[in-house]
Amino acid sequence: MDINKFKEIFENTTTIGEKIYIENNLAETVKFVKENYHFDILKEIIAVDNQENGIELIYRLYSAENEEEALLATIVRDEVESVCNIFDSAYADEKEIYDLFGVRFVGNQELKRLYMPEDWKGHPLRKDYMENDERLNWND
Amino acid sequence: MTSLKLNLGPQHPSTHGVLRLILELEGELITRCEPDVGYLHRGMEKMAEKLSYIQYLPLVDRIDYLAGFFYSELLCRNIEKALSLELSPRVKAIRVMLLELNRISSHLLWIGAFLMDLGAVSPFFYAFREREVILKYFEKISGQRMMNNYFVFGGVRNDIFDIEEIERFLEILPHKLDDYESIITDNLIFKKRTVGKGVLDPKIALNFGITGPNLRASGVGYDTRKKDSLYEGFSFSPIVLGNQDSWTRYKIRILEIHESIRIITQAIEKIKANPELNNNFINPLNIVLPEGEYYSEIEAPRGVASCYIKSDGKKSPYRLKWRTGSYYAVNLLRKLLVGEYLNDAIAIAGSLDIILPEVDK
Amino acid sequence: MNYLYFLYIEFLAKHNIPKIFGDITFYVIPACIIFVALILVILVLVLFERKLLGWFTQRKGPNRVGFWGVLQTLADAFKLLCKENITPIGADRAVFNLAPIIMFLPVLIALGLIPFSSEFTFMNFQTNVLIYVILATFPVLSILLAGWASNNKYSLIGGVRNVAQILAYELPISFTVLSVIVLASSMNLTQITLAQSNQYGVLGWYWFPCIIGFGLMLICTLAELNRCPFDLPEAESELIAGYNTEYSGMRFALFYLSEYGMLFANSLFISVLFLGGYLSPFGKYLSPILFSGPVGNILIYFEQAFWLFAKSFLIIFIFIWVRATLPRLASFDLLKFSWNILLPLSIVNLLLMSLLKFFVGGVYA
Repeated sequence: MDINKFKEIFENTTTIGEKIYIENNLAETVKFVKENYHFDILKEIIAVDNQENGIELIYRLYSAENEEEALLATIVRDEVESVCNIFDSAYADEKEIYDLFGVRFVGNQELKRLYMPEDWKGHPLRKDYMENDERLNWND
Repeated sequence: MTSLKLNLGPQHPSTHGVLRLILELEGELITRCEPDVGYLHRGMEKMAEKLSYIQYLPLVDRIDYLAGFFYSELLCRNIEKALSLELSPRVKAIRVMLLELNRISSHLLWIGAFLMDLGAVSPFFYAFREREVILKYFEKISGQRMMNNYFVFGGVRNDIFDIEEIERFLEILPHKLDDYESIITDNLIFKKRTVGKGVLDPKIALNFGITGPNLRASGVGYDTRKKDSLYEGFSFSPIVLGNQDSWTRYKIRILEIHESIRIITQAIEKIKANPELNNNFINPLNIVLPEGEYYSEIEAPRGVASCYIKSDGKKSPYRLKWRTGSYYAVNLLRKLLVGEYLNDAIAIAGSLDIILPEVDK
Repeated sequence: MNYLYFLYIEFLAKHNIPKIFGDITFYVIPACIIFVALILVILVLVLFERKLLGWFTQRKGPNRVGFWGVLQTLADAFKLLCKENITPIGADRAVFNLAPIIMFLPVLIALGLIPFSSEFTFMNFQTNVLIYVILATFPVLSILLAGWASNNKYSLIGGVRNVAQILAYELPISFTVLSVIVLASSMNLTQITLAQSNQYGVLGWYWFPCIIGFGLMLICTLAELNRCPFDLPEAESELIAGYNTEYSGMRFALFYLSEYGMLFANSLFISVLFLGGYLSPFGKYLSPILFSGPVGNILIYFEQAFWLFAKSFLIIFIFIWVRATLPRLASFDLLKFSWNILLPLSIVNLLLMSLLKFFVGGVYA
């Protein structure tokens, strides 16, 4: 989805809380929304593992000025553009999502394990996490 | 000059738990700061996926042990929203009262701990003396001092009683706050260490996702209580100060306690006006949320907290995500501490009111 | 002291013990007395501080061990004795072990310089004051060594901070002490004490004419003792325990002891300089009035010591009060405060005292 098309959709979306799906140019779109609609807080990035449908990332943007919220969503497989140059708070969120879901954010230099130890295998919040875990078969 | 790498924490008297800051110092000047969290990670989100909602409810108080009511309120609210459970006016008033009491206790603890970071011992004990009254009351009504597990889906576990105790406490508290202010607020050394230190530009604060008192101390009047349905019918105004420094962050919390006292007084009036409790309970053993996504948000003492639940129509959530204020404040340290001296760094980190269980989840 | 020496030698001669033995032991016994007395005073002092801090912060303070908690410090000391001495890997062993001893020795010597009463000054040199001022700065050496030898960054920062702090605060102290020397025209602590006894009673003591100096001395002593609000070298919330982070067991106890010993010695020193030392606040001693005959005359010495101790505990009370009230200064403010405010003020104070001495000299001669 290119920016112009997104612009149309975004301006026609009246119900706040409805997700707007973005297929590509994520960082550019976030930047566009931030600069043109005063969405100056990225409240959080929510990641949901939808198994075969990929991982869904929901960006909750909030405008302190207009007091409204926008939800941008995208489906990723394992790589996505980082928005940490646009929102500094994304450093924290992306780090967490990398740790728990294994999504790599291209452009974020600080991706490393956050909660889990450095040598931890797997990403705990993925739905297939325990299935492939060798520790489950410890008594074999 | 070679730089000195200093590990501040995770076992350190002033990191309020297990925060680890990896600092690079030149003399006592900080040139790089990297927070390292995760020493208290309990997998709150992973646990939710395995437990039913009522099993999960007692755990969420532990996300922030100083303000547990806020997190149980969040989970309850999400489920009430999903199942369209209406709360009776008395339940609402009770919840507001307890939430604000919890906010007061949390802010009081912060004042004590912050002054402890600055090297003053007495305010810590004074603040704890007042906090004790609140915790004793919590224990009385819920059986627990901090991890109360008192809010349940559709109501509160029991009716509250001995409300005169709170009324008496609210009469004393403003005088006690004046006492703190007389020993702290205009103290020359305190001012020297906080005024103009750790200036947080509103643009930077917004960009780093800082919310709550820290953001309001930078001049942005963002308070989710204004739009909160629970707080409907309460008259209060979010406190916004514009000086952006550590001192303002201290002052704003004192003023917020005063504001909370106002809200509690109104809540007590409502509790007295609605003597019937009318819990709207559902059978907690088979709560099943309809498929879909649910958000709820609340103004916790350490910034906006939110809960996201995605349900796939089973007994436990498909995905549950918490947003906590402190997590973003820790991230902010990377920027805020660079260029400061070591002893200011402690004061600045302390002024952001970081609590580690909230960060690590 | 001569009188006591005479009595002692006479006592020995009666029992046919050679004089040379008396000459040697005469200086060993006071050292032992000081050591034992110091330990006892410190035990009281620690309890005093903890009780007061408890009361200031609406607590009870120690109240479990012994009646009213009096044995608490003894119990703590016993615990410290039983603890393992740990030397961290990479520490400079010799220096690491030496540092607590270097810190403890000056305290003992410093106490010997104080005139506890008109007869009890264990080392009565003409330049007592100078020696004391030099000894009082000795702990900085030990703290720097301890900080360096511990192989710990917190300790190192604490030690370095302490050196900067002592350098900044030693000058105002020297100038203030100098002003008292000018007033008393003597460098001997007994002479200074005697110079304060005049017809004005309490107001004749030097705290009144030299009120600026008294304030300066209190502030600078706080800094020299590393006590709140100047406790940067061991700032708990920043540096964990500063220079003694790595110390445990008896070595830590030595640091602890010498800190409190230095606190006691410095408060004695201030009371001698500004609060009339062993002089009675009533102008005359009470014991000859209460007890007639020779008992009263001997009790005078104990009464004098009592007044000195009372005054020093008053000063310690002020220190504890300050600790319970104020937050800690930041290190740069601390240095600025000394160089920009205290040092000029102390020089002005010295000038004022010289003028006072020159024009109204007779009163304070």
